[in-house]
Amino acid sequence: MGARGGLLTASRAVTGRRPLVVILAVLLFALGALAPAHLVSEFVLRLGVEGLLLGMLALSVAFLMRQAGLVALGAASIYGGVGYLFAITMSEWDLSPTAALFAAFVIVIVYAAVLGALIVRTNPLAFMMLTLAAGEMVSHGVMLEGLRDYTSGADGLVVNFQGAIFGLQAADFASAPRFWPIAWSAAWVLGLAVYATGRSRFGAILRAVRENEERMRFSGFGTYLPRLIAFVFVNGVAAVAGLLHVLNSQFVSPESLGLSVSTNALVASLIGGAAGSIGPIAGGLFFAFAQDEFGAHGFTQLLTGVAIVVFIVLFPRGIVGGLIEAARRRTYLAPRRGEAP
Amino acid sequence: MIALLIANSLALASLLIMLSSGLALIYGLRDVINFGHGALYMLGAYLGYSIALIGGFWVALVASPILLALLGVAFEYLVLRPLRGRSHIEVALVTLGLGIILGQALIFVYGGEARGVDAPRALAGSVQVFGLSYPLYRIFLIGMGLGSCGLLALWLRFSTSGLYVRAVSQDPSVARMMGVNSDRLSLLVTSLSAAFAGVAGVLAGPYLSVDPGMDVTMIVNCLIIVVIGGTGSIAGAIVAALLFGFVQVAGSVLLPDLAAIAPYVLLMAVLLIAPRGIGRGRVLS
Amino acid sequence: MLEIAKLSVSYGRVRALDAVDLTIRGEGVVHGVIGPNGAGKSTLLDAVTGRRSPTSGAVRYRGEDITRKSVAWRRRRGMARSFQRTSIFQDLTVREQLSLVARHLGDERAGDVIEVMNLGEYLDEKAGRIAYGVQRRVDVALALIGRPQMLLLDEPGAGLSAEETLNLFLHLRALVRERGIAAVVVEHDVDAVFACCDVVTVLDLGRHLATGAPAEIRADPRVISAYLGSAA
Repeated sequence: MGARGGLLTASRAVTGRRPLVVILAVLLFALGALAPAHLVSEFVLRLGVEGLLLGMLALSVAFLMRQAGLVALGAASIYGGVGYLFAITMSEWDLSPTAALFAAFVIVIVYAAVLGALIVRTNPLAFMMLTLAAGEMVSHGVMLEGLRDYTSGADGLVVNFQGAIFGLQAADFASAPRFWPIAWSAAWVLGLAVYATGRSRFGAILRAVRENEERMRFSGFGTYLPRLIAFVFVNGVAAVAGLLHVLNSQFVSPESLGLSVSTNALVASLIGGAAGSIGPIAGGLFFAFAQDEFGAHGFTQLLTGVAIVVFIVLFPRGIVGGLIEAARRRTYLAPRRGEAP
Repeated sequence: MIALLIANSLALASLLIMLSSGLALIYGLRDVINFGHGALYMLGAYLGYSIALIGGFWVALVASPILLALLGVAFEYLVLRPLRGRSHIEVALVTLGLGIILGQALIFVYGGEARGVDAPRALAGSVQVFGLSYPLYRIFLIGMGLGSCGLLALWLRFSTSGLYVRAVSQDPSVARMMGVNSDRLSLLVTSLSAAFAGVAGVLAGPYLSVDPGMDVTMIVNCLIIVVIGGTGSIAGAIVAALLFGFVQVAGSVLLPDLAAIAPYVLLMAVLLIAPRGIGRGRVLS
Repeated sequence: MLEIAKLSVSYGRVRALDAVDLTIRGEGVVHGVIGPNGAGKSTLLDAVTGRRSPTSGAVRYRGEDITRKSVAWRRRRGMARSFQRTSIFQDLTVREQLSLVARHLGDERAGDVIEVMNLGEYLDEKAGRIAYGVQRRVDVALALIGRPQMLLLDEPGAGLSAEETLNLFLHLRALVRERGIAAVVVEHDVDAVFACCDVVTVLDLGRHLATGAPAEIRADPRVISAYLGSAA
């Protein structure tokens, strides 16, 4: 076995199936973008959009959980907060909608960097507590009497924008059939970006830090910076999802960034299984349709609680993750090395 | 004026100490954060409200913690023990889910509006203290807070189980080798923590209010206090609760428009200056 | 190469290390550290590698005061450590974890390490699935990557049989000689230490007791009474 030359260049047989997978993916993408508008009702499309957006938020939660072992309970504060910032930068700074999009995104990234710098250093449990606190801080922030002029407090802000963003008008964004391809494409882009990041060396470092932080330091790695970068990255993903959300709904309220949205995203990522990118997005879709089934907000929240418990205790790999795992196990079953099969 | 500020801070801090020390104890002992602690508090408050309707405040003050202690026992046996092998994050998430379920169940049973609870007749009205008129109930609250602090400190310092709790928090593996039954200890701590939440819930009725959303507010407050206080450090949690109470009260007086986020600013400031929190190490340092 | 000056480490009121002075010369020397339980051996390694901040005293590495430097900084400067309780990456394959570290430390010749530690057949196994003895070799291998100048090994023989430990030590000595590096080995297996080390230091109750060639130490009455007993 060529150990000497083989360490850094692990051989991996290139399967002939690769091009086929790519072709199928492109077909699926095209179909998914164009077909639904003709096949299902507008109501279903709206649910679908909701599901995709929640799924993208769940993507950010899932990546951090899977790669860094950190549970962010304040994801909604970014998701909703960026919407507020979009509205406020347009009205206070007189920015064009496109400029406001970028401004809001940048502000959120800076916030994530500062917050991350403070909290990423702590242990995962403290991190979880602190993200919850930070999320509530933002919730209280938009309700502050002192900021009422900007945020309209509990009433929420109607977000009007004139002019085109990337050639599309406000009406286009609000219409479900026309927004669906946008959301679908965004989900693919974000999903692929997250997947690629996970598979990169950065992802490997994150996972190794997650598994044995001390050994990583003893192997010469800084362990603070990778986690900080990961935190900013996932918040960037959440911000994109949030901007799409505000473009579509054209309304933000304290509910958009409340704890229940964060826990919804958590449940969506648990349903899908934190592994991979398809899981969280599928989880988001599943959640959106299930939520429609179950109606009342309170009952949905109750079910969210139940779902969290059930999925942690019984299905730690989620539905999608569990299916993938089951499929894999059927094709490869290896006894422990050195033990009898 | 300052005296009023301090008194109000102490009153709030008393409630917070009762809740946070329970959380910090479990954290120090088992490295588990019970995210449902706020929901327990809410349960204590609503139970207290209901019991008080029938039997009065004092009965509620005794009955609610007992009932919650029983729930704590159930929590220990049905949740914490079976999940012992799982990661701390997973257990924390389960408690989060359970807390959500409990909170929603309470809203379902009691509806979505706030309930008012009157202070018991013996404690209604005000007293003259240092030339100021101050609600008697709040003095009672402060007394309860100090009392529970004192009892906790005495227990940890001078009793065998208290010693064991400190030992296990410092080094679980060594303590187990010395024959400390950390299972029984955990049961004790969990039920105590729940009972404290029950007391705090009942006491909160006449002082704050009983409303949906009190669970989230309180768990966040407690989490902030536990983090500021340092991992599982009781002394740190007490200091943090005092600090928190003061910042909250002073904030609502001095900067009422921004008061709601004052505790968060405190949190961020502490994280910046002392990332490990105020307390040194685990329980009672 | 390594100078330890009046190094003290206290945990609360317990002095794990008490004003220890020690000099480790480089260039192909295997320096053993022995002593009864609680002698402060692991604490010494912790303080030298930066895992614990000393309460007082200094650590100088190749002339530079590194007392305040981070663990990762020391590793990148060539001071590597292995662990008493195997600390590897259970979910990664042997190849994955070795190459992860190798790329970070810029070591293309990590293949050497695989040969020296005899891990060739386990490369694509998940570390969690291999036998304990092999896991310990991975632990040491992780420390060997990047051509460190100074190895600090904490009970590399822990959990291994006397024969495996001796084997490991012989391998280590050969490696140390061949590369001209220095190794400090904390170990319980006194026989292996005396057989393979060039210099031996004895610690007792956090204090430095004696340092010298194995034969001297073996015969030292203070060492015998504190640790070895008359059976040595």
